[in-house]
Amino acid sequence: MLRTTAFAATLGLMGSIAHADTLTFYTAGPGGLADALAEAFKAETGITVNVFQGTTGQVMARLEAEEANPQADVVVSASWGSAVDMHERGLLMDYLSPNAAEVPDFLKHSHYAAQGISALAMVWNSQSGVPRPAEWSDLTDEVYRDLITMPDPAQSGAAFDLVAGLEAALGDGAWELLGNLADNGMIVPGPNAAALNPVLQGAAAVVFGAVDYISYGQAASGETIEVIVPASGTVIAPRPMMILQSTANPDAAKAFVDFVLSDAGQELVAATWMMPARADIEGLRPGINDLKVIEVDEDAVAARRDEIIARFNETVINR
Amino acid sequence: MFRAQSILTSFAAAALIVLVGLPVLFILLQAVFPEFARGSYAGAFSKLVILTENDRLMMQARNTLLLAFSVMIGCLIFGLPIGILRGLFHVPGARVWDVVFLIPFLIPPFIAAIAWMMTLQPRGYLFQLAGFDLGRFLFSFTGVAFVMTLNLFPLVYFAVSRALEMVGGRFAAAARVHGARPLQAFFLITLPLSIPAIAASLLIVFAMSIEEFGTPAALAARTGFEVLVTGIYTRLSDWPIDLSGAALGSVMLMAMVVAAFALQNWIATRRSYISQTGKPADLEKADLGPWHWPVLGLFALVALIGVVIPLVAIAVTSVMGTISGGLTWSNFDLRHYEPIFRSGSRAWQALMTSGWLAVLTAFATAAIGGLVAYIVVRGTGRGRAVMDGLSVLPNAIPAIVLAVGIILFWNSPYQPISLYGTAAILLIAYIGILLPYPIRYAVARLRQISGSLDDAARVAGADQMQALRHVTLPLMAPSLIAAMMLVFAIASRELVASIMLAPAGIRTVGTFVFSQFEQGSVQTGMAMSMVAITITSGILLAVNLWLARQGSSAFSG
Repeated sequence: MLRTTAFAATLGLMGSIAHADTLTFYTAGPGGLADALAEAFKAETGITVNVFQGTTGQVMARLEAEEANPQADVVVSASWGSAVDMHERGLLMDYLSPNAAEVPDFLKHSHYAAQGISALAMVWNSQSGVPRPAEWSDLTDEVYRDLITMPDPAQSGAAFDLVAGLEAALGDGAWELLGNLADNGMIVPGPNAAALNPVLQGAAAVVFGAVDYISYGQAASGETIEVIVPASGTVIAPRPMMILQSTANPDAAKAFVDFVLSDAGQELVAATWMMPARADIEGLRPGINDLKVIEVDEDAVAARRDEIIARFNETVINR
Repeated sequence: MFRAQSILTSFAAAALIVLVGLPVLFILLQAVFPEFARGSYAGAFSKLVILTENDRLMMQARNTLLLAFSVMIGCLIFGLPIGILRGLFHVPGARVWDVVFLIPFLIPPFIAAIAWMMTLQPRGYLFQLAGFDLGRFLFSFTGVAFVMTLNLFPLVYFAVSRALEMVGGRFAAAARVHGARPLQAFFLITLPLSIPAIAASLLIVFAMSIEEFGTPAALAARTGFEVLVTGIYTRLSDWPIDLSGAALGSVMLMAMVVAAFALQNWIATRRSYISQTGKPADLEKADLGPWHWPVLGLFALVALIGVVIPLVAIAVTSVMGTISGGLTWSNFDLRHYEPIFRSGSRAWQALMTSGWLAVLTAFATAAIGGLVAYIVVRGTGRGRAVMDGLSVLPNAIPAIVLAVGIILFWNSPYQPISLYGTAAILLIAYIGILLPYPIRYAVARLRQISGSLDDAARVAGADQMQALRHVTLPLMAPSLIAAMMLVFAIASRELVASIMLAPAGIRTVGTFVFSQFEQGSVQTGMAMSMVAITITSGILLAVNLWLARQGSSAFSG
């Protein structure tokens, strides 16, 4: 009796999930944005969007684990290099949304386009009692000893881009800087929120390389933190949005991508304190033209991902 | 009627094989054939060199064992003294303490670890209240062992106090009659006779610390030390993934757990410790006399560290407006609870999903577990022997290993019907993970129910199925209901399999809270934890009260 009930419920459940008018969307954070986009899209088209939200590392790992039996239709990653890599492996569908016309050229490609853009910054707790840092290298100072955190580049696509960007700008100086920060007691506790939380409570004072929009949001909700973008320049992390070649539902997938790049979709992106991908939509915070951007050769960097992560682990984590 | 039994046996065997056996087989195949997940048998054994060349895996294995031993010692320190006192003396408020020490089971370990982090880290709650912090202690090997000890010490407390209640009364009394002084009786009679129970509980502690994910996941990154479980998780959840490494790690983990259970079984069955006749002993517990207050103080201290501090830290965090605002009244804010109770919100959906998954898991495990237990204890012939072997299997499989196996098995290219990517996969995982509880409870209960009751029913003309339905099943019901409660409590907050298997669009309490700590707001995570802890304790309490009321009638017949 009980068994049959459980089994029937299970079958019923399978039925509802495998419904035709659904779209599966794998995305890097923030979770709230994915949900808001899914809801608004459903209101407009009636298509249900099932969201899996994780770190870039988790999203890519899932895609890889499911390679034989792909589940996702549309993917947003927080690392541009991952889109480059997937395109090279022939996993992406050839589609550029007409709504991407206002997206700057360097943020789009025949197979993918940015959804939004974050920049990497320092996040400083103004109640921490240490002086406000202005530059990346300020954090090697003794006053910040044991008070610095950094997101793990293996888990946060944006943090990875920062390491790659600093290397592009400073060469070996970047590794020297990271080594000095590690000497100064910098910890790497996990993805972005894990690096930010100690700073909120005051266990640490500064995040080195935080994704800026999370902190703009936290500051707006009353946390005593400030987002500081070094004048020497920083890395931006455009978040590529792409459709998988394997999708069983290409029309719905295209409609969803169009929606994310529509006025309504981009307003939702802006509401999370990210920079919208479209240049004609106003953000809530300084935009791309207000920052000094370090150029990174994404193709070259994507190919060297394993090497860079290994070197980071050697220099900072397992020293 | 013989047919009916063989159909039931085949069904139970098939369930165990599909739920647990095949996933484990696929792990073994993946460990041997690196390209197995892509459908190829090329390069057999080529990945085994990881074992000798990659010292990360070996280091994780060493850390795992070291941690498990430390937690065992920690549980002895926390659980043994209060267990002995509870078992041998009239401790004031004994029943209250029993309930208090159940609470650690209800706090998800991951949450407890975060609560300790918020409390002890530099500028944490302890610092805000007392002006100093214990961050260095917490973010160390000792700190991880400490937090895990607090989750598990009640196992030792309950095992020791029960065992001593059995042994302490009659046997110690006999020793006293023969002239032994109280301490002599304790060290020569009571303690030696209780050792099997204590050892068995320690081995369960050992097995549970080996497979624990939440605490190391929360603290390990900060302490820079990895265990097998976090290693397996990283190999599967960080790109690029390493299926073979995860499978090899899983095999090592399984080997450790199997060894622990084999040892436990050996200790438990090596000799007959005749103290456990099942007859309630006439307990003559000693009075504490002048030690009344010190003992009460000790219980209160253990409860403060093990229960009060983590619970309060969770509750306080959930009502803080901002984290940087600190512990001030002006920072008190209930807004983080609002989304949880807004019908249709993601948090609400997570709560609902976990709720029905836990209910279905409880019923399914009770049905399968009850059946397996019935065949193991009452079955005949080959079916029984096969089932006896199969029923041990779920015990030996840590949750993360089963999750790995489920990915490999249900998502393999050979799989004609893929449940992977549907919510059903979570149900399958939960059933496999939690099956040991009903099996253990029901086997123990069935062994206490004399077979002669069955025979009496048969003599009176009932066939086997009727005897099962009208005699044995009602007698088993209390233990199955108890197991279902436990299954419900654990399933409703299950973490590691949920993170690894939850398909897009499905969120559970565990994954919701986990992602709040990874990418969202700590307060929302804690608010959700508070709600989940309150609901599960409420349900457990209600069912317990109901059972207590039914108890007289259920047992008197």
